[in-house]
Amino acid sequence: MGIIFGKKKPISRVTAQDKAVLQLKQQRDKLKQYQKRIALTLATDRELAKKLLAKGQKDRALLLLKKKRYQEQLLLKTDNQLENLETLSHDIEFAQIELQVVEGLKQGNDALKQVNAAINIEDIERILDETREAKEKQDEISDLLSGGLTQEDEEAVEDELAEIIKEQMPNVPSTEVDVEEAEKSPHKTKEKTKQIPKEPVALEA
Amino acid sequence: MSETEIEWPWQYNFPPFFTLQPHAETRAKQVQAWKSLILDYCKKCKLYLIDVREASNIPLFNNSGINRKLEQTVIVSILSELQKTGHAAPIDKPKNRWEIYWHTLEEWSSMIYDYVSNRGLQGSVLTLYELSQGDDVKDEEFYEMQQEVLIKVLQTLEKDRKCELILSDDDQGVKFF
Repeated sequence: MGIIFGKKKPISRVTAQDKAVLQLKQQRDKLKQYQKRIALTLATDRELAKKLLAKGQKDRALLLLKKKRYQEQLLLKTDNQLENLETLSHDIEFAQIELQVVEGLKQGNDALKQVNAAINIEDIERILDETREAKEKQDEISDLLSGGLTQEDEEAVEDELAEIIKEQMPNVPSTEVDVEEAEKSPHKTKEKTKQIPKEPVALEA
Repeated sequence: MSETEIEWPWQYNFPPFFTLQPHAETRAKQVQAWKSLILDYCKKCKLYLIDVREASNIPLFNNSGINRKLEQTVIVSILSELQKTGHAAPIDKPKNRWEIYWHTLEEWSSMIYDYVSNRGLQGSVLTLYELSQGDDVKDEEFYEMQQEVLIKVLQTLEKDRKCELILSDDDQGVKFF
């Protein structure tokens, strides 16, 4: 393979852990091959024992079966070893994943820190203060510019407002009150009607 | 390799098929037929390697039924034609031993990478043995792929940075990304 890998390769992405996993897996492959081999000999041994029995060589057949039995036990043992290897390689792979998770958390944490560092509490206070000052100044300016209104004007404005409200308010009760109360106590309605013309007079003053 | 149920095309029992035809047009058709026959045959028999010197042992090049053999030089010229499309490659200088790719290396590599992505095996290490002989790949087409071919396939993947081969004396594996 040397010819193909002759040129300089970029940094290898294979870690030491990968190599360890690979070695474990290779061990597992070897065990599997071993199992295949034993399974094959088991089958042939059985056939052989049958033939020997047919020939009447009972002793040899028995010997062969003993060997077969022993190999069957070996097969069981290799199964256990295989399991061990599998667990170990899975453990390593999982540990690698955990490492990646931790790495990810770390990066996220760092990013958050950087963003937070960009925001300074004092800066925020200063900015808010400045905004408030600017607003006050703005109010002052607009007061100065439109501040032509005297106390009297203010009162007039408020009176006008009150008048508008009153004009709108009585509309609802006036019809009901007129119908019902006009029969029972005409004086009260008269007082009301007298009050209404008074107000515009007060306004004109 | 088992010679089970190969459906020979009609040409296979047609004696002139085993002699290179002088007429250019006929020859082109003949070579074309041979090319697809070789690939089909290798695919069915899972044959990754053809040794031209022993070609007469393969029924493909030796039809004992009609007592016809394909000349070694003709075999080489047809294999050279296959080489142009990436379906074969000589592995020695005298062009005696040929690797046959009934799927091109690129096709194989995408097949293997599909398998890897379907199983979420990116980032994990696999041995070459489990990739070609393991129980998990029994139903895949690349099951029992020859190691040399497998390595070449993985090298094409490596160029795309989709895997990295780990090849040392006792380690033979690949890490996918």
